[in-house]
Amino acid sequence: MSGTARLRIAGGAVHDPANGVDGEERDICIEDGRVVASLPDGAPTLDARGMVVMPGGVDIHAHFASSSCNHARRLIPDEHTADPAPAPALIEGESRSGSGGTVPSTFTTGYRYAGLGYTTAFDAAVAPLLARHSHAELDDTPCVDGGIFALMGNDEYLLRQIERGERDRARDYAAWLLGATGAYAVKVVNPGGVEAWKSGQRNVTGLDDEVSGRKVTPRAILETLTDAANQLRLPHPVHIHCNNLGVAGNAATTLASMETLAGRRCHFTHLQFHCYGGEPGKSWSSAAAKVIEHVNAHPDVSVDVGQVMFGPATTITADAPVEYLLHKSSGRRWTNIDIELESGCGIVPLAYKEKAAVSALQWVVGLELFLLGQDPWRVVLSTDHPNGGSFLSYPALIQLLMDRTVRDDRLKQLNQRFLAGSALADGLAREYTLNEIAIVTRAGPARLLGLRAKGHLGVGADADVTVYSRDPDIAKMFSTPRYVVKGGSVVVEEGQLRRAPAGKRLRLAPGYDDAVVRDLRKHFDAYSSVSFDNYPVRDLPDAPMLLGGRA
Amino acid sequence: MSADRVLQSVTCLGCGCGCDDLTVRVRNGRIVELSPPCPLAKRWFGDGTVPHEIRVDGRPATIEKAIEAAAGVLSGAGRPMVLIAPDLTTQAQRTAIAVGDILRAEVDGATSDSAAAGILVAQRRGRAAATLGELRNRADVVLFWAVDPSERYPRYLERYAAAASSTHVRRRTLLSVSVGTDRGPGEAELKAEFTPGEEVNALAVMKATVRGQRLGELPPRLRPAVAIAERLMKGTYVAIVHDAEAGRDARDAQRTESLVALAQVLNGPTRAALSSLRAGGNRSGAEAALTWQTGFPMRVSFREGHPRSRSGRSGLDRLRSGGADAVLVAGSVAALEGPGLALDKVPCVVIGPGASAVAGARVAIDTGIAGIHEPGTGYRMDDVPLPLASVLENPRAAAETLGLLLGALRRRAAGRAR
Repeated sequence: MSGTARLRIAGGAVHDPANGVDGEERDICIEDGRVVASLPDGAPTLDARGMVVMPGGVDIHAHFASSSCNHARRLIPDEHTADPAPAPALIEGESRSGSGGTVPSTFTTGYRYAGLGYTTAFDAAVAPLLARHSHAELDDTPCVDGGIFALMGNDEYLLRQIERGERDRARDYAAWLLGATGAYAVKVVNPGGVEAWKSGQRNVTGLDDEVSGRKVTPRAILETLTDAANQLRLPHPVHIHCNNLGVAGNAATTLASMETLAGRRCHFTHLQFHCYGGEPGKSWSSAAAKVIEHVNAHPDVSVDVGQVMFGPATTITADAPVEYLLHKSSGRRWTNIDIELESGCGIVPLAYKEKAAVSALQWVVGLELFLLGQDPWRVVLSTDHPNGGSFLSYPALIQLLMDRTVRDDRLKQLNQRFLAGSALADGLAREYTLNEIAIVTRAGPARLLGLRAKGHLGVGADADVTVYSRDPDIAKMFSTPRYVVKGGSVVVEEGQLRRAPAGKRLRLAPGYDDAVVRDLRKHFDAYSSVSFDNYPVRDLPDAPMLLGGRA
Repeated sequence: MSADRVLQSVTCLGCGCGCDDLTVRVRNGRIVELSPPCPLAKRWFGDGTVPHEIRVDGRPATIEKAIEAAAGVLSGAGRPMVLIAPDLTTQAQRTAIAVGDILRAEVDGATSDSAAAGILVAQRRGRAAATLGELRNRADVVLFWAVDPSERYPRYLERYAAAASSTHVRRRTLLSVSVGTDRGPGEAELKAEFTPGEEVNALAVMKATVRGQRLGELPPRLRPAVAIAERLMKGTYVAIVHDAEAGRDARDAQRTESLVALAQVLNGPTRAALSSLRAGGNRSGAEAALTWQTGFPMRVSFREGHPRSRSGRSGLDRLRSGGADAVLVAGSVAALEGPGLALDKVPCVVIGPGASAVAGARVAIDTGIAGIHEPGTGYRMDDVPLPLASVLENPRAAAETLGLLLGALRRRAAGRAR
């Protein structure tokens, strides 16, 4: 096998749900990095008979290439020591050694994503000030096409515009910021809550709380940024991490956020962490059924689940007040970095344990969202890597979705304290099909991200393909793809990484009214520690993607 | 006579402040004017002239011969070391780490022992910190712990800790603690002084005060610690500023741990961040790049075919005591602190600014200086990456030269594999 321009993946059972293909035996023809209709006889062939063929995986929400991740790496040298990663033996190109753990080094991250059959991934939380760092990490993360989401919603300039009722200016600012940072989407984390943490208010708890004594509320922030993303016709709508993450009873806030944005396209991320019933300090329960019912009934809403998997994790989030509480309640190591005028960063390494009541509830809530969600195109897979668990746990999660017996056996092992009345404990028979797995791991995320050339195998698609050997052990099948093709290059052969091409950078540069630039320059001159001229990240690889938004 | 060229918003790596608001005037290939007139910036930029020599065994050579000679020196070693000295762009630092990876070398940066202590504490317990602009815009109480930034970080006060314009701070209170010869600023609302022997006890008293613990009768000399802690707790956002680089005298090894812990615990009653002052030359960038490429910020060994964190002495110390049988120094040897390296005692390749001045180097390739001749990225002391300009032209960039060396080493490795 080689990395040649032409390749026929022959005779596999193709799962390409975006094109209505559900396990039919077909050839996938590849030429110059794209899927084509046919190839001449004699083109190099990869025999996939008896195997399962899917588009390359697309991770819609992970944390793997950011300054926050690098702070997290500094906090877990023990994990890196325990998981050495020698340089893979490639047959083309150069390879690098590294280390693993829940936050692997960059090269190892790329290799491990490819080894899992994932070929596209987004870092979902990058403080704009530190975007330059993220791009440097992406430069050193091979095998995956990648991008970043720019954090907004706690930034001084935006809050000032909202306070003044300048929503058009806020939209122009969001557009400028995406282009200046080479980002792909607008990310909102705990709207107003991070600013409150930094101001001494500590946090906000409701959508109508004033933020740091200003006439700005989380509701106004959500509405402003959701409308901005939609008016700009961004390929991915606003990506929302709600207020009150991880707090008992937070489902009420989540539902209120969804209702506020009803009728508007929006994406709620790591929903599992926002679906708890009960009361803070008193009780916990699952409110997954109630929240997913809303999602099922509102086609403009999409979510990724943020499943918790038992084992080690590192929580990394811009939601810094949450991490402080986690540190206080767990006594574990804690890093907090306040990021000027924009955002925050909190990090706490931890482990989810079956015998811990809250961990068990979180595991159940995530699975309930998957199993009660009626439209897999809008309820897609994530573990919020590495917050709910490493991306390496995706195969085990897929097994839980496809095999009720494995799931029910695991359920019996858990601490049952908060599980009474949960739908999963009462019995959910649903088992995902291979096609549904293809939807929640690649076709769905690609569609939600507006990546027209990803997540499918139709003519013109990027030639990102994963070929699995069938195995009754679903986790094993999905953890060791037989072949992975990235941009037409065979990167995994017979389960071994053989090539490690650089990934493409997925980014946008929406248009905006230039008046915002003049205003921003004044703001930077007055308050920023970085000169306005030095803020934008320049000389990025790959041109910005086109979008059909405002000129 | 060529016309003057004026560059604005230029980043300075003269110290870790990373001021990026400099205006630089260039005439006839030299820097002739710099504003604002920071003494460290003036020293850092100079007139911008650097040597352009390539030497093998002390004699002039072509770049091709020098790279092959360098590859020969390094690939033949059993215990090679790569030392990332200051004054490189992060792009060059990344390439130097790749050289260390292929050589299975030890790799270390110019992290001082003092700064290393802070990194190790942060590994054990985390830390509470902030970017410098956050201190500018939030910190209404600033405690200088045994440092007056005006000496080694001349614009730290003006740009960050006591900046005139701020989004949130209307009145700032400065507190000053001196410890032995490490003096805090002379002008402060509240001042205290401890001996080096009292310092950690004073910090323990402050932590206990913040936690609300009963202290009993304190020795008189420690009582000011209570007053300082109480003043900190009245702040809305507290910055504790300390010098993470080595001082004139040895410090209590527990100082850093105690300061990190104090900043963390202050986040109970108020908000707080520890600001660790770091030297320039993009030292922080080397730690950042090492961390993302290997998982470890310093003292990395690739000897087993993958990165391991070496405990104990720094690469610089190990080099001084014969811990390597060949060394690549990437960066400015002249910018390394401490006693001389005696690079004539070990087969040595130097690629960086002023390499040709290093006595005894087997291979020396002069390059430009990051942010003066070479564009790229440099990190501020708070891990904020900044763009570096190319103020002057220079025939050879460190990043590209290290890339040539990496290519030569890869060709040799491929040849051996065949």
